[in-house]
This record gives sequence, structure tokens and C-alpha cells, in this order.
Amino acid sequence: MLTKRQNLLETIRGGKPDRFVNQYEAFDCDPGSIFGMIMGDPIAAASPRVGRGEPPVKDGWGVTRAWPPNVPGAFPVHDEEHKVVKDITQWEKVVKAPRLDYPQSEWDKFKPKIAAVDRNEVFVTIFGAPGIFEQLHYLMGMDDCLIAFYEEPQAVKDLIQYVTDWKLSYAKLLCDNFAPEVILQHDDWGSHRSSFLSPDMFEEFFLEPYKKWYGYYKERGVQLIVHHNDSYSANLVPFMIEMKVDIWQGCVTTNNVSELIKKYGGKISFMGDIDNGLVDREDWTQELVEQHVRRACEENGKHYFIPCITQGGKGSVYDGVYDAISRAIDKMSKEMFN
Amino acid sequence: MAKIDEVKEQVIIGKTKMVPGLVQAALDEGSAAKDILQAMIDGMKVVGDRFSAGEIYVPEMLIAAKAMAKGVEVLKPSLSGEASTSLGTCVIGTVEGDLHDIGKNLVNMMIGSAGFDMVDIGVDQAPDKFIEAIKNNKNVKLVACSALLTTTLPALKKTVDAIRESGLQGFKIIVGGAPVTAQFAEEIGADAYAPDAGSAAEKAKEIVAA
Repeated sequence: MLTKRQNLLETIRGGKPDRFVNQYEAFDCDPGSIFGMIMGDPIAAASPRVGRGEPPVKDGWGVTRAWPPNVPGAFPVHDEEHKVVKDITQWEKVVKAPRLDYPQSEWDKFKPKIAAVDRNEVFVTIFGAPGIFEQLHYLMGMDDCLIAFYEEPQAVKDLIQYVTDWKLSYAKLLCDNFAPEVILQHDDWGSHRSSFLSPDMFEEFFLEPYKKWYGYYKERGVQLIVHHNDSYSANLVPFMIEMKVDIWQGCVTTNNVSELIKKYGGKISFMGDIDNGLVDREDWTQELVEQHVRRACEENGKHYFIPCITQGGKGSVYDGVYDAISRAIDKMSKEMFN
Repeated sequence: MAKIDEVKEQVIIGKTKMVPGLVQAALDEGSAAKDILQAMIDGMKVVGDRFSAGEIYVPEMLIAAKAMAKGVEVLKPSLSGEASTSLGTCVIGTVEGDLHDIGKNLVNMMIGSAGFDMVDIGVDQAPDKFIEAIKNNKNVKLVACSALLTTTLPALKKTVDAIRESGLQGFKIIVGGAPVTAQFAEEIGADAYAPDAGSAAEKAKEIVAA
């Protein structure tokens, strides 16, 4: 029996996997972290986080984050009072990236959990969020952000450059200190039905920054880039390939994943096709979950596909759904691999 | 090309700087304010249709709505002297427990651009806030409720139930959001469902006119 990481590599390389990769199992390297991936470092630790039901806080970029008790996650606040960037042409006066210059002793505190990872079984996986696009709209709100692409394109490009440079410096520190094998980076690029930007606009603003960022990780020995984006982005897959994404995590069913596998399998793999919206519901049942997992496994097959809940980390909104999906995938493995 | 036609064309392609001047030129040319407004509404219908068809994306829709808003600013003094062209008031909000506002804002813009007076009550709004807004605003013809999370689908049902049980009448209810389906909308007793902002505007006009 292959280890979890061997089985994943066989799957995405078109080799001989002996079962379906079961959701996030190959990246589940830190039992102490909420999503099972490495999430702690001095920079992340210094950025205030809001807890459920607690008063809003400002994160390291000055973005106000609120988490009312009755909602499932924290959100940036974008009323006029709280937007960091109110005028994109003046962003340099108000945007200040978090400091990166922490002493080595601070980094060393996080190294025991890296050393504890069983690298034969799973990958040392670092969880990253937000992405470049998300950082932009966190700073100014989605509406202002998307209009700025038309009205002040150069200012947007300059801000993207600033964010990317900071992320590259951060990436260097992560590689120097943790030698990660996998980066799982969040950046949602669309809604359920369409990408936010046209492919041309996406290419103009984001392709090169992402090529630099992900290319740097690859130069430093990172084996796999897993990009989380739980939206429709089938029209952006050629750019994902160009920016060296190995696995697109979060591909929702509207993307027609089986067609994407036929078209791009071997160049990129697809992880998802089990939408939270379809199975992670108040009225979920094991039967409902199995129905969706069966469809995904049968339609997409054994290569270049990892059946997975579409959310960007292990777990589910409703207790038991993630484990129910895992059980259903095991069942499909027994049926389709024997 | 008549200036009024140019107004429509420039709204469609989102020329925020050109539209105000063209609106003024159309007025100077003798076009009635309500006709110019209708030309912009027609332009936004083209934008909505193109968005629904996947031909354009969110920024193009936002910039077109902004261009129209700038044109309406120029028209306002002239419109006040003419008969109302409003299709009525639309109360819009995201239901309790949900902080998503992008989809709601887009629908707000597109329904507003179709000729409704919009009352946006914001995100994470309890059923009584929708009811309060219906009571406190004149000529409410439409209530639009948004939910983006599977966790807030029950809140969407609760909102529709509460509005129905309030006894208030004279308006239709439209619902939408990523996890919402036409079947779910029907199950919870909404009058209509729209899968995206472009079709929401068309559906809004259709059900209010019915």
C-alpha cells in the first residue's frame, strides 16, 4: 500500500495510485492546527485575529475583521469608516505591510512541529491566506477594487507589485526556516458562476505576479503548489498552469471538472468537485454525501483528480460532513480500485 | 447618432466620464429626461444580458452601473418636473447570519438600474428588519433577499415566512445567492428566483408587472 504522499504523486502524475487520495489526507501534517496544515509563524502570530463573538480587530494590514456570533467565519469590514484604501490613487499613503524582521529565536519556536512531521507519510504543507487578489479587496472592498481595475489600472498594478514583493519576502523566510514541501495558498477568483475578471484582465494584472511568487517557491524546492479557489475559474486554468499550480483545490461542480481533466490532465490536477453547497447542509445524510462522492469519482476517474470538499481546508460547516465524505471516498476506492 | 443613443452606448461600455456630458447634450438637443433615463435603463438591460450570457464580467457591470449613476445625477433636476418613471421601491438585504455583500450589491445596482428605487438594508439582517423596511418605505413593490451560505438557507426561509406572516402585501419576494435554487425558492414560498444579477433585474420587472 502506498503512503498518502506516494499515492497523491501517483495520482497527479498519471501513475499507479492504489486508491483515491482522500481529501486533505496527504497535507494533514499538523494535528494541532485547525486545518491540519502548518499555519503558525512569527508574522502570522503577530497579526491580530478576531474570535467568534469578540469585538472587531485590525489585522496586520490594518483591515478591520469582524466575526459576529451568528455567522460561520470572520469578514473584513468595508463601510466608509473602516476601508483602509478609500482612494486607490493614494494607496501608498495608507497601506503599510506587516513587518517581517523577527529575530531567529521567534522562528525557532515554530520549528518543532515541522520536525515532527512524518515526511514518509505526508507533506510538510504550509497554509497561506489571503492571496494577492484577496489582499487587494480586503483593503478597499470588492466594489471599489473591481472598478479600480478600469479607472486606475496603473495604481492597481503598483499596489499588486507592493503586495507581491511583500509576499516574496515572506516566502523567502518560510523557505529558509521551514523548507516546506507543499504550499496550499488561498485566493478566490470568482463566484459560483463566473470568474470575477475576464481572462484578459486576469492575465494583465495577475499572471506575472503569481508566476514570480509561485515560481520562487518552486526554485526553493517546494514540490507542489496547491491553489485554493472555490469558484468558477475553468476559463483561468491555462494561467494556473503557466503560474505553476500543480493542483487546483476547490474546483466547484460548475467548472465541469471531468471536461477539465480531459483537456488539461497531466499539466494540472483537480481537487474538489464535491461542493459544500450540495453536501454541507443542515439536512445532510450519509446517503446524500455518497451520491455526490460517487458521481465525482465515477465522472472524473483515477488520474489527475482528488475527490474533496470544496472548502479550503479539512472540515465542514456541519459536524460530521467531512468524515462522511471521507468514508464515502474509501467506499469508492474499494469499488473502483479492486 | 442622436445624443440619446450615444448615452445608451456609452453606458453599455461604462464610460463614466463621458456619460454626464452626453446626458446634458441629449437634454440640450431636446430629448425628454424620462426618455434619456429609459435609454440608460435599456443600456443596462444589455449589460445584464451580456453578464448573464458570460460575455462580460463583474467589473464591466460595475463600471456601467457607475456610468448610469453619473448620468442620473445630471438628469435629476429635470426628472423632478416630470411624471415618475419609477417601477416602485425595492427593499434588498442579505439575511441574518450572512455577511456576504458582493452579490447583494450587484443585484442592488442592476435592479436599481432597471428603474426601481432601492432601499439597501445591508447584510446580516433579521426578518424583522426586512419587515420594518417594508413598513417604513412608500410604494414597496419588491423585496429581494440574498443568502450565500448553506448555513443561512434556513434564515432565508425564516425571512420569507416572517414577511408573509406579517400580513403586509402589495409586493413580490425574489431570492438568490450561490446555494439557492429555483426549487428551493419555490419550496420556501418566494415569488421568484434569479441565478445572477443580470437576470435578477429582468425577473424583478417581470414579476412586479404581473
